[in-house]
Amino acid sequence: MKPRPPTMREKKRYLLARIEPRGLQVDPKELYYAVLESLTSLYGDSVSSQAQPAVISAAGGYAIIRCTRGYEDLLRTALTMVTGVNEVRLVLRSCATSGTIHSLKTRIAAAPSIPAPDPAGLEIGGKCFDAYHYGSEKVDLIEKGFKNQELLFLTQTDLEEF
Amino acid sequence: MITTDAAVHPYPAGDSSLRRMASEAHELGFDSIVAIDGQNTEMYGVRVIRGVLISENQLKNVIGQVRRRSGKGDLVIVNAGETAFNRSVIAVKEVGILRHIHKAPKNSFDHVAARLASERGVAIDLDLHPVIHMKGPSRQRVLQKYRDIIRLHTRYRFPLTVSSNAYSVLDMRSPDEMKSICRVFGMSGQDVDDALSAISRLFNPGSAVKVVR
Repeated sequence: MKPRPPTMREKKRYLLARIEPRGLQVDPKELYYAVLESLTSLYGDSVSSQAQPAVISAAGGYAIIRCTRGYEDLLRTALTMVTGVNEVRLVLRSCATSGTIHSLKTRIAAAPSIPAPDPAGLEIGGKCFDAYHYGSEKVDLIEKGFKNQELLFLTQTDLEEF
Repeated sequence: MITTDAAVHPYPAGDSSLRRMASEAHELGFDSIVAIDGQNTEMYGVRVIRGVLISENQLKNVIGQVRRRSGKGDLVIVNAGETAFNRSVIAVKEVGILRHIHKAPKNSFDHVAARLASERGVAIDLDLHPVIHMKGPSRQRVLQKYRDIIRLHTRYRFPLTVSSNAYSVLDMRSPDEMKSICRVFGMSGQDVDDALSAISRLFNPGSAVKVVR
């Protein structure tokens, strides 16, 4: 099949979103369903079909999401309303919009990498947590396990007080 | 402009410590937060205002709670109820914010209460938690109520506040994100800016508006 000439193709925009909590691994397909569900429940099927959202990648604590040009604002609003993926709580913080994937990947490369969890882990109230330290103070505690993991968001000072 | 998230619930009510919430608020671009049952302090360059949340059905109980629980510099927030309750609670001097109007009976916050709120300088809070977390008909009802509040606000110009009502840092949203959410129920960007800075005006009522000719 002959590809469509560039002038006849629909223009796309790419949104970069930071996934929090930072240590979370998200399946791109599950993320796509969460974004689509949020967009559809907020603006309806008509807008969703025109926006054509698609998750290009979801790795390293960032997601790149594609949409039709002109729908970036609506998609950004829908992203703020995503509260979880596959029963795992998370938030998507929109960082940038671009016309190319390349520029967003450059941004991701410049951002600080996700820290590895503390190998020793932590035990609070009889539950075992993976501790992710990042920034100068922040500590995210994610309960070890597969489903319904408890999350705690503290600072280094809080941890010392515990 | 001092931007404020009008209600967050730190640990133990939520899963994030007050320090972490203040740090997150700083990164998101807030200058202050109202922490329910928190403490009046400053952390990471963010002013933390202690909020006293009162959920009662009768006025005398509200007054009792205000006397027992609130101190100097605290912000008293009351959950809305029936029409008569809302009107009378707005008249209580210590009350700063009336919230959860979306949970109150239909038309319980009417034009009389709106005019009273405007005269007394009591803010009406728009809680974004149900807009973010609810889906379907329940969210539609909330959006409908918020549109009605915006209509009354346009006529009577009572103060509005916007809150994430966050129990976790994952529930907190930046001022820009709040702006885009508020656009969903027809609030203009200027109105959102005014609502985000309303808390500082509640504490300094003298510095509200100056007409320069």
